Amino acid sequence: MLKVFLQIPESLANILVPGAVVLGISVLLGVLIVVVSHFFRMPVNEKKEALSAALPGANCGGCGFAGCDGYAQFLADGGTDTSLCAVGGAACSIELASILGVEAKIAERMTAQLLCRGTSGHTSARYEYLGTQTCNAAQGLLGGPGSCTYGCLGFGDCITVCAFHAISKKNGIVQIDPDECTACGQCVKICPKNVLELLPVSAKVAVLCRNTWPGAQTRQNCSAGCIGCRKCMKVCPSGAISMTGALAVVDQNLCTRCGACIDVCPTNAISPL
Amino acid sequence: MKELMIILFSAILVDNFVLSKFLGICSFLGVSKNLKTAMGMSGAVILVMLASTALTWPIQIWLLDPLGLGYLQTLVFILVIAALVQMIEMVMKKTMPPLYNALGIFLPLITTNCAVLGVAILNITKSYTFTDSMVNALGGGLGYTLSLFLFSGVRRKVDKADVPEALKGLPITLIAASLVAVSFFGFKGLVENLFR
Repeated sequence: MLKVFLQIPESLANILVPGAVVLGISVLLGVLIVVVSHFFRMPVNEKKEALSAALPGANCGGCGFAGCDGYAQFLADGGTDTSLCAVGGAACSIELASILGVEAKIAERMTAQLLCRGTSGHTSARYEYLGTQTCNAAQGLLGGPGSCTYGCLGFGDCITVCAFHAISKKNGIVQIDPDECTACGQCVKICPKNVLELLPVSAKVAVLCRNTWPGAQTRQNCSAGCIGCRKCMKVCPSGAISMTGALAVVDQNLCTRCGACIDVCPTNAISPL
Repeated sequence: MKELMIILFSAILVDNFVLSKFLGICSFLGVSKNLKTAMGMSGAVILVMLASTALTWPIQIWLLDPLGLGYLQTLVFILVIAALVQMIEMVMKKTMPPLYNALGIFLPLITTNCAVLGVAILNITKSYTFTDSMVNALGGGLGYTLSLFLFSGVRRKVDKADVPEALKGLPITLIAASLVAVSFFGFKGLVENLFR
């Protein structure tokens, strides 16, 4: 009909008509989108945008919120604790505080630490475990195949959950690289043995054992475990070491980092970090 | 009425968009990991399928066909569906925040989902009337929901199983999906005889 109206040859009309239709539809849709976006505009929370930009964006959940956006929302809604992001660290806390106009809280830099020295050289297996090769599954079967039921199983559930690749397997247990670790806490949560703990990076000693059994039983099952001889507790000048059953525990707040306990421990369960 | 029920049930069971026609697989594999996201995604898909059918069917029948421009179907449908989803997202964000929190984040995912485009095109190919098309779209969305629910259950079991190293992750998921699809073959011949 267009070709008859304007005396255009049919071949040209066959290009112009579809072109006009598609162009018309696109323009119409474009206009509609702009109009709708204008009438349905949401007020942009600028403070939240600025806070989100200051956060590292790793979405590890270590702050306790659902991703970085969740923490930004908490701060925008009036939260004042800017030190919850372990990944961003002190620099991030300062930036968040300056956006909010509050004083920055600097949390001490922490790292995860494995409180176990029970490598395959120190322990043995109670049975041959043929099930699903994860710590949480093995824990369900009589506490796992290790001779010490308090120790690291070494299947690496913590490695799977670590978003920063800070953990690796070594000699049947795991080891953590303090330079990569951001202390987000996900490994601590997933470990069924509760043998991972967040310690300050400045900590010098810790008891690398969780075994509360009496000394003789401990020695039978792991040659690196704490036997509860109390030598460390007696030699500590600041009283930072206390006993839980037959297990010594170092209170990092009282520890003066003198290192006297390291020399006296017969099994080297209390070790320099 | 009987024809509408046949269309509805064949879209859900026999001609299930995901498991029989193999449309919308990437979003199906991506969202079926846990049940909560599966629910949100299926809600979004049902909404978008209905809305896009309501728009694209009239455009084809009253604009493109009379002008002899049926071949522009794919291009125009994609334009319309993408713009429609954008507008739905903007309106939903402002007027229904709880609904937006539940399924709003899935809307960009289905902007060019082939299942949505598939519904729109199949309505035309099968020469459905407007009511038939809307029922087909509803059935398509419900069928997608059904397959998502079924498959998220299957995936949870597969996650706990001892999978050979070479098949871990995507390979075993695809194999599981194809086995579920085979099971849907059993529905062939069911629907026509149900409403006889």
